[in-house]
Amino acid sequence: MSYQEKRTLVNILSGVPVFIAYGIYVFVRIRSGSAEPNDLRFWGITMLTFIGIGVASAIVLQILFHIGLSISIAIKKGDGKESEIEKDIEATIIEDEMDKLIELKSLKLGFSITGIGFVIALIFLAVTGSAAGMLNIVFFSFGLGSISEGFLSLRYYRKGLKNV
Amino acid sequence: MSKKYEITNRIRELRFFAGEMTQQELARRAAVSRQTIIAVEAGKYAPSLEMAFRIADVFGVAITEVFTCVVHELEGKKT
Repeated sequence: MSYQEKRTLVNILSGVPVFIAYGIYVFVRIRSGSAEPNDLRFWGITMLTFIGIGVASAIVLQILFHIGLSISIAIKKGDGKESEIEKDIEATIIEDEMDKLIELKSLKLGFSITGIGFVIALIFLAVTGSAAGMLNIVFFSFGLGSISEGFLSLRYYRKGLKNV
Repeated sequence: MSKKYEITNRIRELRFFAGEMTQQELARRAAVSRQTIIAVEAGKYAPSLEMAFRIADVFGVAITEVFTCVVHELEGKKT
């Protein structure tokens, strides 16, 4: 598995647990009666908190991943010169036109899913009048868009750009 | 009549003649990732002109020595 695929997997893995944790937290709070489903302040604070946790966990995991990667390259290189190890690390993490193209194409899918989610959320709001439900659909579509983006990137790296 | 352009390459062959140059080495010298070299070599990614020139430059040959274009017509004929 290449560096790019591993990095994408780390991105997906950092997002999914936070999303699941959000679902569990919200379920428990509402089930126990400590939060009111129609309390928009509760949803606002909860979503902001989990967005913050998501961003922080993504940064921490990326840092840990890059430290682990650097260590594994240094171990593979054995007693090579420090400059050679640095060159190897730079050559591994280099981002070229294919990475940018894959990122663009994946982002397009992510935005599409988020956009569709927003429209569904508006329809939901128009039909039921539930702002909390609408907020959750928007939040869910952002998460789904981000995860789909990661999976599409993985697919492009595996299959190539011509075959998709 | 519409045509389909397929880019083929001789990177594997050129790496062999360059003393079995590794994909990692080619990637480093062309300033791209190894993943990209793997994809280009396998015909899964058609590089930009700039990248194609950089790859050809590593081998010290003209771009047409590395990349060739096969034109497929709709009927399936090759020209």
